[in-house]
Amino acid sequence: MGHTILEKIIALQKKTSNIRNLCILAHVDHGKTTLADCLVANNGIISSRLAGKLRYLDSREDEQIRGITMKSSGISLHYTTGGNEYLINLIDSPGHVDFSSEVSTAVRLCDGAIVVVDAVEGVCPQTQVVLRQAWLENIRPVLVINKIDRLIVELKLTSQEAFTHLQKILEQVNAVTGALFTSKVLEERAEKDADATSSCTENSSGDQVYDWSAGLEETDDSDLYFSPDQGNVVFASAIDGWGFRIHQFAEMYSQKMGIRSSVLLKTLWGDFYINAKVKKIMKGAQAKGKKPLFVQLVLDNIWNLYDAVVTRRDKEKVEKMVTSLGLKVMSRDLRHSDPRVLLSAICSQWLPVSQAVLSMVCEKLPSPAEIVAERVEKLMSVGARRFDSLPEKTQELKKAFLDCSADEMAPVIVFVSKMFAVDSKALPQNKKRPLTQEEIAQRRELARQRHGERQAANQSTETSGSVDAGGTSILAAPATSSVTDALCAQTEALSVKTAVEEEGKEQFVAFARVYSGVIRKGQKVFVLGPKFDPSLALRMLSGGCSATDALPTIPHMACCTVDSLYLLMGRELEELDEVPSGNVLGIGGMEEFILKSATISTSLACPPFTPLNFEATPIVRVAVEPKHPSEMPKLVRGMRLLNQADPCAEVLIQETGEHVLVTAGEMHLQRCLDDLRERFAKIEISASKPIIPFRETVVRPPTLDMVNEELGKQQKVAVIHQVKEEQTKYPEGVQVDSTGLVMLTTSNKMATVGVRAIPLPEDATRLLEDNVELIRTMVQLSLFAWEGKTLDINQKILENIQDFKVKLESHLQGHKWRGAVERIWAFGPRRCGPNILLNNIEGYQRPSVWQCLKCVKEKEKAEATTLRDFDNSIVSGFQLATLSGPMCEEPLMGVCFSVETWDMKLSTPPAQQDSVDENSVSQCAETSNDNQSLSSELQDVHETDMSTTGSNRSRSRVEAMGSSVDCYGPYSGQLIASVKEACRYAFQAKPQRLMAAMYTCEIMATADVLGRMYGVLSKREGRVLHEEMKEGTDMFIIKAVLPVAESFGFADEIRKRTSGLACPQLVFSHWEVISSDPFWVPTTEEEYLHFGEKADSANQALKYMNAVRKRKGLYVEEKIVEHAEKQRTLGKNK
Amino acid sequence: MSIFTPTNQIRLTNVAVVRMKKGGKRFEIACYKNKVMSWRSGAEKDLDEVLQTNTVFVNVSKGQVAKKDDLKAFGTEDLTEICKQILSKGELQVSDKERHSQLEQMFRDIATIVAEKCVNPETKRPYTVNLIERAMKDIHYSVKANKSTKQQALEVIKQLKESIQIQRAHMRVRCVWPAKDGKRLKEKLKSLIKVVESEDFDDELEMVCLIDPGCFREIDELIRCETKGKGALEVLSLKDVEEGDERLE
Repeated sequence: MGHTILEKIIALQKKTSNIRNLCILAHVDHGKTTLADCLVANNGIISSRLAGKLRYLDSREDEQIRGITMKSSGISLHYTTGGNEYLINLIDSPGHVDFSSEVSTAVRLCDGAIVVVDAVEGVCPQTQVVLRQAWLENIRPVLVINKIDRLIVELKLTSQEAFTHLQKILEQVNAVTGALFTSKVLEERAEKDADATSSCTENSSGDQVYDWSAGLEETDDSDLYFSPDQGNVVFASAIDGWGFRIHQFAEMYSQKMGIRSSVLLKTLWGDFYINAKVKKIMKGAQAKGKKPLFVQLVLDNIWNLYDAVVTRRDKEKVEKMVTSLGLKVMSRDLRHSDPRVLLSAICSQWLPVSQAVLSMVCEKLPSPAEIVAERVEKLMSVGARRFDSLPEKTQELKKAFLDCSADEMAPVIVFVSKMFAVDSKALPQNKKRPLTQEEIAQRRELARQRHGERQAANQSTETSGSVDAGGTSILAAPATSSVTDALCAQTEALSVKTAVEEEGKEQFVAFARVYSGVIRKGQKVFVLGPKFDPSLALRMLSGGCSATDALPTIPHMACCTVDSLYLLMGRELEELDEVPSGNVLGIGGMEEFILKSATISTSLACPPFTPLNFEATPIVRVAVEPKHPSEMPKLVRGMRLLNQADPCAEVLIQETGEHVLVTAGEMHLQRCLDDLRERFAKIEISASKPIIPFRETVVRPPTLDMVNEELGKQQKVAVIHQVKEEQTKYPEGVQVDSTGLVMLTTSNKMATVGVRAIPLPEDATRLLEDNVELIRTMVQLSLFAWEGKTLDINQKILENIQDFKVKLESHLQGHKWRGAVERIWAFGPRRCGPNILLNNIEGYQRPSVWQCLKCVKEKEKAEATTLRDFDNSIVSGFQLATLSGPMCEEPLMGVCFSVETWDMKLSTPPAQQDSVDENSVSQCAETSNDNQSLSSELQDVHETDMSTTGSNRSRSRVEAMGSSVDCYGPYSGQLIASVKEACRYAFQAKPQRLMAAMYTCEIMATADVLGRMYGVLSKREGRVLHEEMKEGTDMFIIKAVLPVAESFGFADEIRKRTSGLACPQLVFSHWEVISSDPFWVPTTEEEYLHFGEKADSANQALKYMNAVRKRKGLYVEEKIVEHAEKQRTLGKNK
Repeated sequence: MSIFTPTNQIRLTNVAVVRMKKGGKRFEIACYKNKVMSWRSGAEKDLDEVLQTNTVFVNVSKGQVAKKDDLKAFGTEDLTEICKQILSKGELQVSDKERHSQLEQMFRDIATIVAEKCVNPETKRPYTVNLIERAMKDIHYSVKANKSTKQQALEVIKQLKESIQIQRAHMRVRCVWPAKDGKRLKEKLKSLIKVVESEDFDDELEMVCLIDPGCFREIDELIRCETKGKGALEVLSLKDVEEGDERLE
């Protein structure tokens, strides 16, 4: 790019009224980037011959390969019309639904938008979306109907047919706008009622020819609709380089035909025809079978041209046309074998698309200075806060917005909508530029010097190579030359590495727009995060102060210096010194202060702008891992960068240690992974399905069998199954009675515990789950109480606990639960989970978990009952059991273990204890084969008994009192182990179920894809909760629940099946019991009839359970070979 | 030569032989391949899917059937019962598929144990099982079928430390002992404690510290012996890991 243009642009930036900030929006593949190419070519940045093929603004490699735009990128163009010079800040946006976040960032910075619609495909889902986005951001759209050449060449429509087709498209677009308008009207029905009715009535207005659209102009929403006679519609074919507004033709024909151009303008589009006899324009072309004016005067010409050039290749006719149009076509183009070349050569001179579009933009779209007050208020009031409620000083800023003045005094307000990564090599200050003769001489001298030094140092050949590397980087920029100087001094290998890092680093540039004031290089500014609260800041600093003063720290506010300012020129950046208001710009050096978006201002009264409204929320989750585990830190750093660079991607580390990347869709995911691989992390990574959590629980015994017959009436047929199960389930030493009470004795025969598992009511489980924090504080409080310390407790917390207790009591009703709440022993796992340990032992009193409620704590004397001292072991065993259940080692949920008996042989004299220990040791030895494993086993016991934390102090006390010195705690360890086992067996004695995590899924869909959407939902075991129609639109809102396990690939599938018309959002909601029994086998006669003996039909719960077990390396009951006879065991040569 | 030419050799295909010595004699039964282990583990319940025939042989490959008299050693006449006995107690050549699946399962198990016990010392977050598996493959760890998975896991942790950042998750403990033993004991404990988080001297010395789970016993013993039962050790948390999800920002 030449310097002249750059200077011109800088000059133009100061003329606010001649600036147009606009973005190009459309459905994917409707020709946004091609159109942008044409506009760019108009400025001479690229050759007009390449326009449409180069896709200049698609600077990423994968964008070029895939042929779709993936990010929004800006470029500043210069346009002159009628003596006026305009600066056009053009932002090209992606059309794919996955990147709609990029669209949001683009729309925010603009005042107007070019909506491109494919003439063949018409209004597509994304067209609706972008129109809605433009509407929500209050920016004015203009329409470009693109690809009209396809109507001629591909569909082979006649000009008449094409006209009706175009009319239809225009109607569709207006219908969408109308729907947006009406839905807004319905929302604000009270005020806007009158408007709506008037807009309904006016369409039926008059037979009169001239004031056909007069009624429309008076109404409020007139400028919303697209109509060629208003001049906000361009018909174009960007690929062939032509486009026009009917103005152009109106003017052309008004001279030829002697009709006033204003009349022609109004009648050129619509149902009018020219009556040759009376030389008048009449209405009702369709009814009378006449050619409409538009067809006759406009389309026919184009059709003829295409016919001559492309279809018939009639050289003479072409030449005649060319001369009659007064164009000059190069003979090279005339002779070209591809007719499209000739066509675009003619068209781009006859009806250049850039002229048509740019003149429309300059005429119809507002300049930054014309910003609407309504939009300002909307931008400034965050969330539900009304504008009026903002502090006074903030409200004053509204004036600054409206003025949009580049005055020195005006406060600087800049909004950063996204951060994008740029290779630091691409930054202008690091860029190679032609060197002056002087500089070259200087460099040569330097190089010679270095060469001498190197020889003197007598270094190895290898290092000399690296210096060469350094030497080449010297050429890059003076900035790096200092680096290379240092390079000589230090050891070579090391410094080369730093140089490489310097070069490969990604720099972040903020994509921003100045709303008021002038931003300068080196200026000190405030960076306000999205959650910044101006009223708070104003309170903290009364009186005015500027960014240069030292300030107290205010949340979400940082103070920094503007490093560098850039003019965005597509792939390139040009450095600027200052940018006046109304311009789109790039700001460098902000990556430490800005995460994704922010507001930059010199005034602390400035509110953060409303958050961008994203059409697509991130829902595709994958777990990302480095190929080589040692590269973990690189991955984490890369993910941080990615998070900053992408407005829509989310990254998080889960408790399981997984690094999860959440993206808007498969395409977006691919881009994020590519970015991670090639730019941010620069390592090989693999993405996989994230780990799906489950919970285990027990339920009441079912009364119906799988074929809905009542159980208990028929005799069990498959007794064999049952017997075998029973035998394998319980080893010796465990007694299980028919009610599910499990008695287990410790291996030294000292203690016996009886445990029963009871399912908790669903409400109680939920209550426990919701109050995890509360329970945790409770546990802490009782821990302190146990140690005899006092802690002053917040009255509010006490109230909360009391409240929680009452609620829990209300959920646990019925004779089974009588007094249960008072007898709660502990919660688990981790002491605060959704499982309960109940103390149902007769004659055993212990302080209840609610003891912190009692205000007066009676001093509890250490009762000498040994039971009390082992209290903690029981709890520990319970905690362990609830942490990993027997089904697939996932945590339990909603299970109550009630300890019914607990017998201990008490007060063993020390000597005996010793023998007992020996006993237990020998028992251990029996189970383990060698000494080593014995020790590991012992250690294991240790680890288990500690596992559950808590005050083991009591235990140590026991040890101190009673037992001998050498063996620490095998006894309590054994107790823990047996309680754990007892809990597990008790659990298994009841009907076990898996619980699956569920998403609530909100889907917006149009009526015609409802059926297919339901198909996808039901295929993935989803359940629809309710559906309702959104008022004023044809959109349905469907609420459903979907298991997390089935959600992988859900978004993609639903989009594919509904051609993008349904967009789901997933939020984790709750845990749900999977109704099928994972261990189910047919037992009754009916079930045999229905399922057969093996019941091979898919059992969802079993499938999940086995998947988890396999993942964890647990034993899965699966045959290696299904059918013994059907395996091929022969060698190849036999 | 791709033409199939029949030979007069009849090969024993798809047969796994289970042998057992009983009463000084060898008995064999003919089973299907890859099925005996499934039977033993209880996954296969259909005996016909396991046994080729319920005849008891002296030598399967020669087709020599065991004599009735010899079978008396089993104490039953029923051939199926005898087969079941041999199936459950006899020795057999484990087929490659069976061995493979067993080793794979152990490999997973080891990885799961390692992942449970260890954290990334930088982030205090656990590694995923997948990652551990990959790291184990990177260091070419081979599973030994006759060692317990737990033992092997401890070994793996040691080896992994060389290639990736990994350590046993620390245990957070609180120890309390009378102040008069304070200094002396602290010196002794110093080598065992990784990080001291807080220290409180008054009439009792109270310390909250992070330790390696491996030396818990040692520490406990030290404290108990040195203070003659007056000191106490209390586990605050078994695994010092970050809880909850964290957004990377």
